[in-house]
Amino acid sequence: MARRVSFSLMVGAALAALLSGAIPARADETCMSPYMPKITGQEDYVYVWTLGIEGVGDGSDKLVTIGANPADAARYGKVISSVSVAGRHEAHHAGFGDDRRHLWAGGLDDSKIWVFDVAPDPARPKLVRTVDSFVKDSDGVVGPHTFFALPGRMLITGLSNAKDHGGKTALVEYNNDGKFIQTLWLPDPAAYGYDARVQPRLNRMLTSSFTGWNNYMTDLRKVIADAEAMKHFGNTVVVWDFHARKAIQTLEVPGAPLEIRWALQPRHNYAFTTAALKSKIWLIEQQDDGTFKASDVADIANPMDVPLPVDISLSADDRFLFVDTFMDGTCRVYDVSDPHQPKLVHTEKIGSQVNMVSETWDGKRVYFTSSLLANWDKTGKDNEQFLKAYGWDGKQLTALFAVDFLKEKLGRPHIMHFGQERFYKNQIYAGEAGPLAAAR
Amino acid sequence: MRGHRLLAAAVLAAVAARAGDDARLRAVDPAELTYTYAVGGFAPEYTPPAPGSYTLPPIATVTDHALLDADGRPTTLFALTRGRLAVVAFVYTTCIEVTGCPLSLAVLHRLDRAIAGDRELARRVTLVTISFDPERDTPARMAVMRSFHAPASDWRFATTRSETELAPLLADFDQPVAKLRFADGAWSGLFRHVLKVFLLDGESRVRNVYSVGLLDATLVLTDLRTLLIEAGRSPG
Repeated sequence: MARRVSFSLMVGAALAALLSGAIPARADETCMSPYMPKITGQEDYVYVWTLGIEGVGDGSDKLVTIGANPADAARYGKVISSVSVAGRHEAHHAGFGDDRRHLWAGGLDDSKIWVFDVAPDPARPKLVRTVDSFVKDSDGVVGPHTFFALPGRMLITGLSNAKDHGGKTALVEYNNDGKFIQTLWLPDPAAYGYDARVQPRLNRMLTSSFTGWNNYMTDLRKVIADAEAMKHFGNTVVVWDFHARKAIQTLEVPGAPLEIRWALQPRHNYAFTTAALKSKIWLIEQQDDGTFKASDVADIANPMDVPLPVDISLSADDRFLFVDTFMDGTCRVYDVSDPHQPKLVHTEKIGSQVNMVSETWDGKRVYFTSSLLANWDKTGKDNEQFLKAYGWDGKQLTALFAVDFLKEKLGRPHIMHFGQERFYKNQIYAGEAGPLAAAR
Repeated sequence: MRGHRLLAAAVLAAVAARAGDDARLRAVDPAELTYTYAVGGFAPEYTPPAPGSYTLPPIATVTDHALLDADGRPTTLFALTRGRLAVVAFVYTTCIEVTGCPLSLAVLHRLDRAIAGDRELARRVTLVTISFDPERDTPARMAVMRSFHAPASDWRFATTRSETELAPLLADFDQPVAKLRFADGAWSGLFRHVLKVFLLDGESRVRNVYSVGLLDATLVLTDLRTLLIEAGRSPG
């Protein structure tokens, strides 16, 4: 017995030494919280958190499940299920908890949060919890945006506050049972919030800054025409001592820096963000003295045209940065091998408008959705609402499938997350081709 | 990378054979057997903040649960922790997951030595390693694990009588564990589990949860010292 246990320990240590820092990473999204286990191999489903539209289907916000495994031809690119949450709440972002089982999804208007369990039937997520006390719990935070899994808890960024519905806001933590833990207000004069991303090995968290409820719930054309409203956008990225949850440095990043993506490779101590209003790629880089520096490293299209860069996705090898610009519905792919000098290597028109982009960890597939905010989306024939899947070969994007969310009477598709049968079934499969078939 | 994977596959197959598990494991890609984390082989590249310079707000409160100690005697979680600060970890002894139980045990081993060398910590801290594999991790096997680690501090090893007794304990701690099965339903002998280690204060409140990307002995020691400073500040 002693020999057997010792052997197991020895093997465990050997295996750890073998694989440390070089664990093969093959699928899932590159932007997931690093604290959660990833799905590996081909994703079977894309979960799309979708805003309801009055008069379209049931008109409610909903979590839509789309088939994404080409081995399952009958459901590939098709709507498999949808779960409505009754009413329109400005459905926006969502994120899995630390076991990658429970998907938390937020509404930016009334600050409600819904938790879906995807494990019992990954093709049909179930609503298992509603948190409707976010504003009260957090002492006045409004607009739950990013959901970032931490061990044993969920970190949620706010966009606004209940006092004046402006941009001053906070980070809020809940435990996995939906019980409030703490509120961390962003520091003046960098009080606006948007995204939060942690680099575990550096103990550093970055938060970016957008705008408050008054602006994001108002028609975009009115906001742009209102000089006073345009003053109320964030211009900062805050660096935090993550473990202490303390803001330690404020970086000037003018023009609403939105999504933050840390580089994923060892020794790459930097992150990218894009400034929506100034249309620039920013590099947030750790210096030799441990502090961080923000550098404007590239224009995105012609900033004078206000192309409005929105979501970004960084490939797992830190080579390609996919940048969506909402106004021209285009994805631009930059080679960021030298992070100080991004090179535009591919441009693809996705639709009349485009917002979210998610690349798979294996770098082979890229998914796009169209909606930004209910009152910011285009109107008339330009109000295309879709999920589109593309293949990526390192040089160009090639269309795989598209789902028309208006034709399907679903609404405005926003954030995407991936699902997979075998991850949740706790089963072992013998290869890449057979998992879905074996699961049924 | 291919060489690493082949070697890892060979090692896993050897483990499976040693553990008497299904020979079918030999044919399986190691990536299918374990969770994969983006953070990979986590190695902190920072100095933790000074103890007491930050707070650890309570995350949850756990209740008492029946256990069997490594000598086979009935006990409970609270009987082991005795109102002390506690670091509680759930493992199974045949785990082969790179970012799983071997890592948990290695960190607790380091903690054990560090705590034993610190008079205040040694007086105030208990380490508890609990198996979530009651079928195979009998008290006798936990005793072997104990003798292997030869605790220098108050490090307890425990298991439970059955899965029925275990389930509410895991649920209370929010510790996901599932048997990894072949497509025909047969158990592979392995578990799918998210590595978690829990820091409890003297009132059985969870004050931190460490998983891949956060589990590091230096960081846990910093948190323990933070809780000691907090206890010293609070009235009574």
